[in-house]
Amino acid sequence: MLLENLRYMFRRGFTDKVSSKSDDPAMREVAQLLKQRGSSPFARSIHVRMVDAGSPNDVELEEGLMMSPRVDAERFGVHFVASPRHADVLLVTGSVTKNMHIALIKTYEAMAEPRAVVAAGDGACYGWEGKDNYALAAGTGRVEDVLHVDVKVPGNPPTPYQLLAGILKAGQVLAKKAGEQHHRK
Amino acid sequence: MEDKTRQFIDGIESSVRAGCLNEPLERGNTLFLNVQQKHLIPVCRACMMDGAVFDSAFVSSADPARGEFNVYYLFRAAAIGRMVVISARGSSFDALSETVNAAQWDERKIQDLTGLRLAGIPDSRPLIFHPESGFPAVHPIGGMQCKPQGGMEYPMAGTGEEGEFEVAVGPVHAGIIEPGHFRFHVVGERINKMETRMFYLHRGIEKKAEGNQAASILPLIEQISGDEAVANSVAYCSAVEQALCVAVPKRAEAIRAVLMELERIYSHLADLGGMATDVGFTLPASRFAVWREDFMRLNAEISGSRFLHNQVVVGGVAADLDSAKIAKISAILKKITETQTLERMTFTSSTFLDRVFQAGAVSKAVAKDLALVGPPARACGMQTDLRCMLPYGAYSQFAINESIEKEGGDVLSRFRVKLAEIKESARIAHSLVQHLPPGALHDKQAQKKHLDSVGVGWAEAARGSCTFLVEIAQNGTIRRLACRTASFRNWRALEKAVEGNIVPDFPLINKSFNLSYAGTDV
Repeated sequence: MLLENLRYMFRRGFTDKVSSKSDDPAMREVAQLLKQRGSSPFARSIHVRMVDAGSPNDVELEEGLMMSPRVDAERFGVHFVASPRHADVLLVTGSVTKNMHIALIKTYEAMAEPRAVVAAGDGACYGWEGKDNYALAAGTGRVEDVLHVDVKVPGNPPTPYQLLAGILKAGQVLAKKAGEQHHRK
Repeated sequence: MEDKTRQFIDGIESSVRAGCLNEPLERGNTLFLNVQQKHLIPVCRACMMDGAVFDSAFVSSADPARGEFNVYYLFRAAAIGRMVVISARGSSFDALSETVNAAQWDERKIQDLTGLRLAGIPDSRPLIFHPESGFPAVHPIGGMQCKPQGGMEYPMAGTGEEGEFEVAVGPVHAGIIEPGHFRFHVVGERINKMETRMFYLHRGIEKKAEGNQAASILPLIEQISGDEAVANSVAYCSAVEQALCVAVPKRAEAIRAVLMELERIYSHLADLGGMATDVGFTLPASRFAVWREDFMRLNAEISGSRFLHNQVVVGGVAADLDSAKIAKISAILKKITETQTLERMTFTSSTFLDRVFQAGAVSKAVAKDLALVGPPARACGMQTDLRCMLPYGAYSQFAINESIEKEGGDVLSRFRVKLAEIKESARIAHSLVQHLPPGALHDKQAQKKHLDSVGVGWAEAARGSCTFLVEIAQNGTIRRLACRTASFRNWRALEKAVEGNIVPDFPLINKSFNLSYAGTDV
């Protein structure tokens, strides 16, 4: 039994090979973004704080699967952190509800500069139809209407590779912002 | 009407008042009982005396000008195999939660949605509206002016024990999860009392549905809770189909059942993996996650959506399962037998058993008091599986072994229930795809039917049963959509489960319930 357990433990080959020739366009995009990572401090280490501001939990599940062994975003330096004070990227999912509005703004304000905001999922990117939903912030729930958004990742919900591509793009935005900050000094 | 049902009705009438039920109406396996407002609560109690279990309470606007509402109380009466819907119309109501603890959140929600004050409600703090985030100008149902009572405070009292202090957690948590607030009252590490505050994700879905064609709002229903998309869609469609008297073809029923079982499997795999993660047992955790991803990819291959979106439609299903898809499903279901290795690994590991045994135990008395549903109820020996108790769709011709743990009610029992359910689901799904009945995919007339009517539908989702009620207007639009998911029913059990445990075990206990915040808040 021990031998069997050991064999099971050391079985390999769970992780996808990220290839620029993949059938999945999102995976091709990730491969492309990884190629042009450059040498900024955010090239190989992006710390993400996520806030679910009104999603039906599917984007969160996809984020979880992005960190699971098949996709394993950690190998590209993407890391989810517990506190906004440790984060470079704020990943906002779902259309912002009235009840989450305050918490979302407070989380954003707790982050250090430079920081980037990614809106993930159709709810976050486009909000809901109509302008008068009593339960949503700004009536629409669009993240754009309450925060400055740097990268949008549409999808219902976006797949793990689409999310990963969005976070890597946010890394580029951060590199640019960091450069500007440095320049100002 | 069957004799048993007749007796049930007579029993209620004899204990309340002869003739108090106006024209009992039976539709499918739902029994509609309309009563006068003054008899509503006595009839509900009589119904529960006969062994029916509280399911949910809903409200709809009857006459906005006169401030009149319809209030519905739903009960699962397994003895007669019926969902019993007791309704009354009026402008003021008494609270059932004065005596039935389980109804408390339902009735607080009714108060917030309508502005009604239910007489005798033990807890009248606002539920879905947060004072600090502001109230809407008018109540969403009925349009009464919103006059908030009380200040900006939301009092959460402790037990008053000496040395007790508060730990406030959320709404933004440390991991990748949804928002909710937990207030722990602790002495040292021991939790004396915990209270949850939810509804951060209240998106007004029920209100948003109003005025739309019944067949057109399935994308909205899928937004209630992402990983219960199929179960919620099936429950919603059943409600609409009941209201419009639509019969679903046999093949569509079977395909719906296959999709629901696939959903249950991927959802439970996530829970098992999550529990393993929270005790720091990473090997099974990552293996469960690998399977999970494989199931999501299967979903995408057979439906074009990793969450099986857009498959269920009013009157049937949108897409067929052809032989290529069936082969893919069968191939992946065979892998489930691999759980045996993980099962042995977890159940022989003292590090795992130490953490899960007797952690977060819910007694059967509490489970009954709160009318729990789904795996948490089955983990303490209650029969709650609607696939067996009130069979719907393809399940009415299918014998299902309900996975029940005789005792325990702890994290270990919930782990075992979910593990057993995965295997049972794989068996059901495998058997269904092997013998798919021939026939049409949906009733073509279904989406064109118009009828001023009310319908009730339910389904057994991975987390437990969900119930939908729809009122459809003459022109085929939704007049009122109301839903109660398993998570809404089970949240208060989590509060009880953590009592006496230590704070560091909370994430594990929470994961073993794995309730959907979005599904609760709607």
